[in-house]
Amino acid sequence: MTRSNDYILEARGLHKSFGSGPARVHVLRGLDLHVHRGEFLAIMGPSGCGKSTLLHVMGLMARTDEGSVCIDGADVSQLGESHQAEIRRRQIGFIFQRFNLISVLSGYDNVKLSLAIRGLGSEGVQELLQSMDVAGVAFRKPGQLSIGQQQRLAVARGIAHNPAILLADEPTGSLDSANATELLGLLSRTNQERGQTIVMITHSDEAARAASRVVHMRDGRIFEHA
Amino acid sequence: MLPLPLANILHHKLRSALAMLGVAIAVCMLVTLSGLSRGSLEEIADRWQAVDADMIVYPATWGENITTVSGGGMGDADISRILALTAAEKPPATAASQQGVASAGDAALDANRTVTGETPVEHMGETPMLRTASAPAKPLFERVVPVFIYQVAIGKDRHNVVGVRPEDLPILLGKNGFDAGRVFDPQNSFAQWVTQRLAKQSDEVIDLSDELAKHGGLEMVIDSRLARVIKAKVGSNIHAAGHDFTVTGIVHEGGLARGFIALDSAEVLFNGRLGRYTLLFAKLTPGVEMGQAMQAVRATKRLTAVGTSEYRGMLQQQFGVMYTYVDLVNLITLIVAFLFILVTLYTMVIQRTREIAILKSMGASRGYILRGVVAESLLLTCIGAAAGIGMSFGAGWLIERVKPLLTVTITPHWLVIGAAAAIVGGTVSALYPAWCAMRVDVIEAINLE
Repeated sequence: MTRSNDYILEARGLHKSFGSGPARVHVLRGLDLHVHRGEFLAIMGPSGCGKSTLLHVMGLMARTDEGSVCIDGADVSQLGESHQAEIRRRQIGFIFQRFNLISVLSGYDNVKLSLAIRGLGSEGVQELLQSMDVAGVAFRKPGQLSIGQQQRLAVARGIAHNPAILLADEPTGSLDSANATELLGLLSRTNQERGQTIVMITHSDEAARAASRVVHMRDGRIFEHA
Repeated sequence: MLPLPLANILHHKLRSALAMLGVAIAVCMLVTLSGLSRGSLEEIADRWQAVDADMIVYPATWGENITTVSGGGMGDADISRILALTAAEKPPATAASQQGVASAGDAALDANRTVTGETPVEHMGETPMLRTASAPAKPLFERVVPVFIYQVAIGKDRHNVVGVRPEDLPILLGKNGFDAGRVFDPQNSFAQWVTQRLAKQSDEVIDLSDELAKHGGLEMVIDSRLARVIKAKVGSNIHAAGHDFTVTGIVHEGGLARGFIALDSAEVLFNGRLGRYTLLFAKLTPGVEMGQAMQAVRATKRLTAVGTSEYRGMLQQQFGVMYTYVDLVNLITLIVAFLFILVTLYTMVIQRTREIAILKSMGASRGYILRGVVAESLLLTCIGAAAGIGMSFGAGWLIERVKPLLTVTITPHWLVIGAAAAIVGGTVSALYPAWCAMRVDVIEAINLE
């Protein structure tokens, strides 16, 4: 097991394909990516280039066919399901394009549930929601909130347990420009104030400008750093 | 924070309510049907056990179960046999000694009737058993109560009506006394008239049933439960067995039967012949052991006996198949109810794959997912079971109002079984949906529209 303190997250020679036979689609083709600790990295690329698949693999929600994913220098891609779940609980937070809040719970309970799954108490939830400007509506269910409020709650849920790595899959994809700008500001602030490493998938140049580094993907490989 | 399983139940109100209703109906059926089948039989057993006697004596040829007997299978000679049994019983030695025993038995029969104020009747010439001239004459039984049991329609239902001598009625009622009125034919006037009439040498053909009303033979005592059902009170007329009986008294429910009439009336009406009985209730002489008396009765070969407390077991044996049937129906109902829960939870899992995927993305373990589904199932089933238990009390009350002669006995035993069945069924029903939930593909589910 190789350890490196330079990178909090590494993808080494990732291969991932879907389907079989002639319908087999090779999505990741020997992809390498290194993410520095505390970095705000944006991954851009055309639809179908494998951005989301990369995020899922790095977030330990999908397995690779080949290659490895290292967190804090430790290869975690071959761990069993329960160990990977443990890493997701402790070290990773997700933000999804469609928010994926649980509809039967209030915004507040969505955040608390995230903490409860991780065995954490609800201290600081109210302050977090205030900092996200959703404290006033936190006891409403997601369906009663605006799109922007839902996404801010999703961010609150993603960072409530103070994960080392925050993976965001097109977080501004469903937002209008005002809400998108606000959300990017939130992410930047989170990155700077909490020191959380953020890996964000985006199609948007404006969103990418909020990141400290941008990489481009095409045909399952990282081909350009900007 | 509202727990997720509870939040889901509250969010899907109609589906949750239907699932709970399914469980409630199943638990209600389990508790109520068991309470009804067992309650009604136990109530009959309780009534037989209430009789203030130690033993039931009946012809050995009737086999081991007397729960459905009626009619006249025994005669006065059988009473003689029983009363002639003594603690110093010895096997018969000679025909001569048997002749002596017959006389002793007849004397005892007459003594039994004399004690109770009844006129001795002519004995049938049968040969009672066994008492040697040299044995100390401590009778095994201090009292024998002959009864004639027959099932007749009263109102809309059929009931056992028991013919008994008026002075013996308290024995059959046990601790239950009169709520109103008096015993039927208290002077035994019909029996006396019959005795006198039969003593007359006459060629005149008489129809005894026509004479019943004239001599107090058409009086009946009923129990309070039957009185409530048929709305009868003292002085009311009850049509039964082709005759109109007058209700002379209402006894508190809990005695041997729902209706009691004079023994001779029953014999005339239902047997057409006097001196015939269905069975005998026998009371042991103080100090005599049940086993000893039982052995002596069985030694007569013609007769056998069981303790009054054994009647309950006979009843359970006779109707055991009904218990099996009821339990089977309950089992099927429970299975259907829990299949309903299974389908509900499975549908829930299918509809909530994205929710499950979100939980998994946050690091929820398989155990957490499993517990969530099982907890939701248990919540549904426990609330359903509680409602079902409540409903069973309501159903029991309703059944006893609509059919007052039925008894629904809801016991803690069956409540525990109902609750346990719900918990076990709820858990088992949740396992397959939970297994499906654990296998949800996070990526696939999270990208679902």
